[in-house]
Amino acid sequence: MRTKDRIKSQDKHILNLAEIVGGTRSILYQKEDLVAYDCDGFTIHKHLPKAVVFPKNTQEVAEIVKYCSENNLPFLARGAGTGLSGGAIPLNGEIIISMVRMKKLISVDLENRRAVVEPGFVNLKLTNSISDKGYYYAPDPSSQYCCTIGGNVAENAGGAHCLKYGVTTNHILGLEVVMPNGEIVEIGKDGIPDAPGYDLLGLITGSEGTLGIVTKITVRVLKNPEGKQTVLAYFDRVEDGSQAVSDIISAGIVPAALEMMDKTAIEGVEAAAFPVGHPKDIEAVLLIEVDGIAAGIEEQIDQILEVCRKRNVREVRAAGSEEERARWWANRKTGFGAMGAISPDYLVQDGVIPRSKLPDVLSRINQISSESGLRIANIFHAGDGNLHPLVLFDARIPGESEKALEAGSQCLKVCADVGGTITGEHGVGIEKREEMRFVFTEEEIAAQTDIREVFNPHNLLNAGKLFPSPGRCAEVKKEMKAQAIS
Amino acid sequence: MIAAESLNELKTNLREDQISKNEDSSPFGNSGDMVVFPETEEEIAAVLKHADSNGLTINIIGGGTKRGFGGLIEKTDILLSLEKYTGIVEHTPGDMTLTVKAGTRFKDLQDYLAQHNQKISLDPYWQENATIGGIIAVNESGPKRLGYGSARDAVIGLRTVYPDGKVIRSGGRVVKNVAGYDMNKLFIGAMGTLGVISEITLKLRPIPKCESLVLVSFPKGNLEGIKAFAVKVLDSMIEPVSLELLNPALSVKLAGINAYTIAMSFEDVESSVRYQEEFVSNMLPDDAKLLISPKEKADLFWHRFYRHIPNGLDGELPIQTEASIKIGTVNLEAVNVLNETELLQDQFNVEIESHGGLGHGLSQVTIRGAESDVANAAAQVRQIAEKAGGYAIVKHLPLKLRKKVEVWGNKPSYFFLLQGIKTKVDPNKTLNPNRFIGGI
Repeated sequence: MRTKDRIKSQDKHILNLAEIVGGTRSILYQKEDLVAYDCDGFTIHKHLPKAVVFPKNTQEVAEIVKYCSENNLPFLARGAGTGLSGGAIPLNGEIIISMVRMKKLISVDLENRRAVVEPGFVNLKLTNSISDKGYYYAPDPSSQYCCTIGGNVAENAGGAHCLKYGVTTNHILGLEVVMPNGEIVEIGKDGIPDAPGYDLLGLITGSEGTLGIVTKITVRVLKNPEGKQTVLAYFDRVEDGSQAVSDIISAGIVPAALEMMDKTAIEGVEAAAFPVGHPKDIEAVLLIEVDGIAAGIEEQIDQILEVCRKRNVREVRAAGSEEERARWWANRKTGFGAMGAISPDYLVQDGVIPRSKLPDVLSRINQISSESGLRIANIFHAGDGNLHPLVLFDARIPGESEKALEAGSQCLKVCADVGGTITGEHGVGIEKREEMRFVFTEEEIAAQTDIREVFNPHNLLNAGKLFPSPGRCAEVKKEMKAQAIS
Repeated sequence: MIAAESLNELKTNLREDQISKNEDSSPFGNSGDMVVFPETEEEIAAVLKHADSNGLTINIIGGGTKRGFGGLIEKTDILLSLEKYTGIVEHTPGDMTLTVKAGTRFKDLQDYLAQHNQKISLDPYWQENATIGGIIAVNESGPKRLGYGSARDAVIGLRTVYPDGKVIRSGGRVVKNVAGYDMNKLFIGAMGTLGVISEITLKLRPIPKCESLVLVSFPKGNLEGIKAFAVKVLDSMIEPVSLELLNPALSVKLAGINAYTIAMSFEDVESSVRYQEEFVSNMLPDDAKLLISPKEKADLFWHRFYRHIPNGLDGELPIQTEASIKIGTVNLEAVNVLNETELLQDQFNVEIESHGGLGHGLSQVTIRGAESDVANAAAQVRQIAEKAGGYAIVKHLPLKLRKKVEVWGNKPSYFFLLQGIKTKVDPNKTLNPNRFIGGI
């Protein structure tokens, strides 16, 4: 180690970890550096890590994990930090293992429709790397320009196009994983399907970084659809919009995406960076995309237009150009951030409901909004029933953050009560630990933590996430709210 | 516990006609000294709890088609039959989801759903006999997996009865769900070694408006040509739902064509299907022949297809010994796997029918012949699979031969995790003992 790079810390763990990753350029340990890592996309809860290390390869990850495990140091993995539920927040002063330097595209095998990436590889970069050959990677979370595929695996990320193509888990063929004791295992060798044994691929995907650290990922890549067309439809009544959603699906069409925004959400996106001129007085806008064999698309678009007209649509039209289509999508995909244009703060929720319950749930969310006095915008993947109520609030006003958290939680309760669930793609993390009780019994939660014990017996890896802490639930919630207010 | 006492205790939970002593024996094993026919989830739980707390073992059976799949014992203490645990719990056409009891037969479900113009997008074998529970428990899929995915893509929720009798729900009734671990995945394909799946919620698809079957056969058997054609199809814009290569013997049986044949199914709106048929005919290699069949003929082809492999339901063994082996490789290796297994016919004096998914990499080889020849050929198939970088699982073989031919192959390096999961969930090894990999 060169003199000018000498570690200033006296902490033996910092020194030893620095040794593993090859010096000071690969470790952060001073407070001013650590503050950037005290939260992820869920900013309400914060905690400083003990250190952040930047391994370059699987071997280094394994050594770090082994070291932490032997020295009883809590640790967790972090990608781009775009997670919305707090999965990468070092609640227990963890050693953060940042995967951002493991960002290579290792190989592409288009004949067998697969690619191998390191976990720090950015989602959109994969599509960009193979698009010239006519291929793409399907899962497309709104943060795809910066989120990592490793993080996508941890959260089982979704996106606008998962209605037809599925979420991350449907596209993962193989994983290399560093187990919490430092052992390296390879699951789904070469991306070959149905490896004999329990489906650990499926179990690890979406386990929010609590079962192991993924160091290599084999994903399925798809051929670009030959044709694609997008329809925009404005409705004066939310009921008509949601009924149109059901009618489209019932007509036997499987759209690639079927998105909806309500009036408040429209106000937000129109005030933000990518306005497209949606009328201010409509109650709902639908964005419907169909893709597939070009010869069959027109037929489906005609059917969609007809369905919308039957449901009293005010205006409906197909995109006139690729440029127009791209503008509609930019407007939609930046929808969360756009709320910043009409509210100082916002809280995103992520409930899922059976599609047929949409009108009912929306009116109950409206009620929660009027009771709490907070505006709630709704942006959702209507086709698969995944709602994103955005609770708008001002953290500077005392008590409002608390109210927002409570309203968000109530929205999830409504989703659970109609037979839905509390998260469709953002994960439980810290944010929805307590809400897990809306959908699971104590026994069912215990069945899950039993599985965690097999992989992560000492619970040093990303502890305190995903599951409510037994008996302490009320206390934790109070603590969380206290923090939110401060 | 002796049988009589056990019987008495079970009678407190089940009616007398739901319990019977099992005098029959199946050449495929996986039976039980006593058969019980629960009709409710509570009854399933009661049987499991009873067995688990008294050191008894249970085999689980649905339609019985997979009786020759794994397992090394003839009879456990109890054979739990889900034959009478049937019916649709909930079908919401607007949500395109279906919740069903595990013992319901697959074809009954498809027939019912067809009235709503919907279907389960799985295409397993022996659809008249196989139960949805059995299909999910072994994670069975067919050629159309290329277009529609497998059980792990279709199942959105499960109710699973644990060995101690508790009922664990996983997933839910919505198509997108990341609350907690994805426990559904754990039970799909677990061969009933963790719990008894009692209820299954599936996402449905619309029945396509138009279907056709395009058979491209290669009379000269030029493998490089077959592979090149498959690569061209995969790299094109067309979207076949299946891209399944059949060996000549199977091709004769299903379509009367004595040559390697690729079966492509197109399912979409009519204009799209016609366009894709046209596309294939324009890209046809010089030495290949094309046969396009409309839906009715296609249905007949698929009907035969799903019945061509041996069925564990048979009470007696056929004169020829039958084995069926599932092989997983990367997609295009399926061509080599089929080619190399062809050679076993002369080497071991056996008959082989095989097919391989050139878009998904799963192949299936059925061997028929004298007992020892079949056993030897089966062992050889595993070597072929492993040489191609993949694995082989023996899906069907009489019990006697399962003791000689390893069903699952080598344990993976992460076997300790599989073992750990089994020990957590079923510590007494009550359920389907030894049915799964590594003696799980």
